[in-house]
Amino acid sequence: MSLKETVLSNLKRVMDPELNINVVDLGLIYDVTFPEEGAVSVIMTLTTPGCPLHDSITSGVRYCLEELEEFSKVDVELVWEPAWTPEKMTPDGLRQIGR
Amino acid sequence: MNPSAGNETNIKLPFSFIFLSMLSLIASQVLLLMHGDFLIDGQFRIPGIWSAAHLFILGWALMIAMGAMYQLVPVAFLTPIWNEKFGFAQFGVTAIGTLSFAHFLYHDPQNALIPGIITLIGILMFLFQMLMTLRKQAKPNILTLFVGTALVCLFLTIGLGIFMLYSMQSGAGASYYLSIFKSHLLLGMAGWFTLLIFGFSYKMVPMFSLSHGYSMKPAQFVYPFYAGGLLVTIISFFIDSPIMLTLGLLLQLIGFSIFIYHISLILKKRVKKKLDRSFTFALIAILSGGIIHLAAFISALIGSFSKIVGPLLFMYLFLWIAFSIIGYLYKIVPFLWWTAKYSKVIGKKDVPALKDMVNDRASTPVFIGLVIGIVGVAISLFIGSKMLFIISQLLFILACVMFCFAIIKVITK
Repeated sequence: MSLKETVLSNLKRVMDPELNINVVDLGLIYDVTFPEEGAVSVIMTLTTPGCPLHDSITSGVRYCLEELEEFSKVDVELVWEPAWTPEKMTPDGLRQIGR
Repeated sequence: MNPSAGNETNIKLPFSFIFLSMLSLIASQVLLLMHGDFLIDGQFRIPGIWSAAHLFILGWALMIAMGAMYQLVPVAFLTPIWNEKFGFAQFGVTAIGTLSFAHFLYHDPQNALIPGIITLIGILMFLFQMLMTLRKQAKPNILTLFVGTALVCLFLTIGLGIFMLYSMQSGAGASYYLSIFKSHLLLGMAGWFTLLIFGFSYKMVPMFSLSHGYSMKPAQFVYPFYAGGLLVTIISFFIDSPIMLTLGLLLQLIGFSIFIYHISLILKKRVKKKLDRSFTFALIAILSGGIIHLAAFISALIGSFSKIVGPLLFMYLFLWIAFSIIGYLYKIVPFLWWTAKYSKVIGKKDVPALKDMVNDRASTPVFIGLVIGIVGVAISLFIGSKMLFIISQLLFILACVMFCFAIIKVITK
């Protein structure tokens, strides 16, 4: 399993509590990069700007990454552009939502 | 806005409003039950019913709207509440004012001015809080216009209410009393509550249905038609013009109809196929509001508005305003509690989903009880049946208690 796959697999533990779908299958994770040894950077979004679960979900993502022994430095950036659309969901995510 | 900055409100603030509002809800309905004889006889303007009406509207609907706004304004406008400590002080003043106002209206209406002024101060504090909060919004939008106008209407409603109390004591402006009274009702119900529910529905409907890619253009037509309709209707009260009244009600109907059409367009773009029952109830309330606006317009057109305005206001207050609030609360309260209890442990351990916080299926009998109860009360008032009134009102109270129980049960999750 590549390092990126490990990260995404771990992030699947973070669920959106309204939809009960994890952030990866919801398509909220836009990018995962490794800027230097022991560092990970995630660019992510939420389904709605000003989503009330804002802090909860981003801190959940941060915690899941800090927990991995491969990383000593974690950066989570929340962006609204490009805006999330349902097309960003994985087939698994779409299936869970009944589509 | 810095996307990393949290906007969440201390949940004790909205919960303070929500819990007090539930006590007011039950108390107001019990008070109405006790005054069934007067209601059946069509005697609405007596102290006990004044007290129940204000306890229901100020103690329940307004308190809950304030509590919900402390939660929803940061979500909808992406800006934190200006001053939470001031919010707690505002809660205290408004609670004392509202409860003592209801008490004085019941026992000593001639001396209700002072508690009315305390209520006014509490509401002014709330308006100041919202003004300071909305000022910080980086990019005002159409929602700001709806909510901002609703707040202005609230201010005017309370101002006119206080003037009526002053007029009762001093006789000042007595010739305009009826016009002011009608404007007070219109601004309070259609101005404040309807515009507020419109504004927040534009945020909550897409959020709870996961709708994306819809246009917000129809909202630009909803606002001028509806707000213009309110203005024309108020003018009609002061110049006593049936034509202006009909025109004002037509404009409101057009505005409301565009709103319904717009919400249906938003829902067509939804990702979430199966909607929660409580949310569906809030959507049915929107449709009910539209039907009542249609009935108001038709009755004005055929010249019978003044005969049925009482039952129409009653239905508007319950089927549209109260049921919208109840439907949305089933979604808002679990979210509030979930955030307080689980937001720090998400990703660390398994946490319940929001749907696990409240039994959505169990909300169906509550909604059925509320609808049957209120329709029964309306019919009993229309045909003058005391027995039907007592049975229907008891059913309504039972459904209210079940609703409050469901909301309180959330905090045990």
